[in-house]
Amino acid sequence: MSSPIRRRRDGRYVIRLDPNARTVLADLARQLPEAIASRDPMVRRLFPPAYPTHELAGAERDYRELVDTALVNHHTQALDVLVATAQAETLSEAEFHSWLDAIGSLRLVIGTRLDVHEDMEAPDPVDPLAAEYGLFVFLGELQYLMVEVLADDLPDEGRPDGGL
Amino acid sequence: MAVVPPEAAPDVDLGTILGEDTTTDKPWLVIVWNDPINLMSYVTYVLQKLFGYSKEKATTLMLDVHHKGRAVVSSGTRERAELDVYRLHEHGLWATMEQST
Repeated sequence: MSSPIRRRRDGRYVIRLDPNARTVLADLARQLPEAIASRDPMVRRLFPPAYPTHELAGAERDYRELVDTALVNHHTQALDVLVATAQAETLSEAEFHSWLDAIGSLRLVIGTRLDVHEDMEAPDPVDPLAAEYGLFVFLGELQYLMVEVLADDLPDEGRPDGGL
Repeated sequence: MAVVPPEAAPDVDLGTILGEDTTTDKPWLVIVWNDPINLMSYVTYVLQKLFGYSKEKATTLMLDVHHKGRAVVSSGTRERAELDVYRLHEHGLWATMEQST
């Protein structure tokens, strides 16, 4: 079966997704900015430390002071774009990237709440967390397919300036 | 695809926090840590997109992260490393930095 996500020749992106799934996405994306603004502990994974060690706590404070506003804005703007374009038939390249960012943020927050770990098994259908785990899996499938389309457009050999 | 332009973060002047820091010339290493949430293909894609690595190189780094728990994905001045960490944080990766010993 062909992927439900593709880039058209005119550069716009098409995501084949039923209206209910789009509504779910928009609802999730609408809730997150408030959690980010209030620094709900569940969003901590969106703001990892740059300097994790105790000795560099001062540098970490400076880093946070410097970037936190920009990082909050970056995540929030992507979520706003997802809300605004959830029912759109096609997406511009910038909107598609915002979807990817927003879906990544949603996965990080839901994954944190579910305490997801590698080789985790799906919860029993009667488990109260089963629905949320289902959302997590759905977001992962979307992310996977979106990355597949974007990775296709990157040169396998890298950019000339790429190096380590 | 183009690299994310620096203008993407207009509010950030990463040079300003260097201040009077007594940085030696030892390079700073940017490290990506394993996390159970981000997809392997997503991590590979982000490393290709941000650093211009080949698919092969980005995949090797991603597998290092996955199997060894962490990988050094870039290195340079403290300012450069902070910018790289910030770009990785924008993309939801768990990145930190430390000075080479």
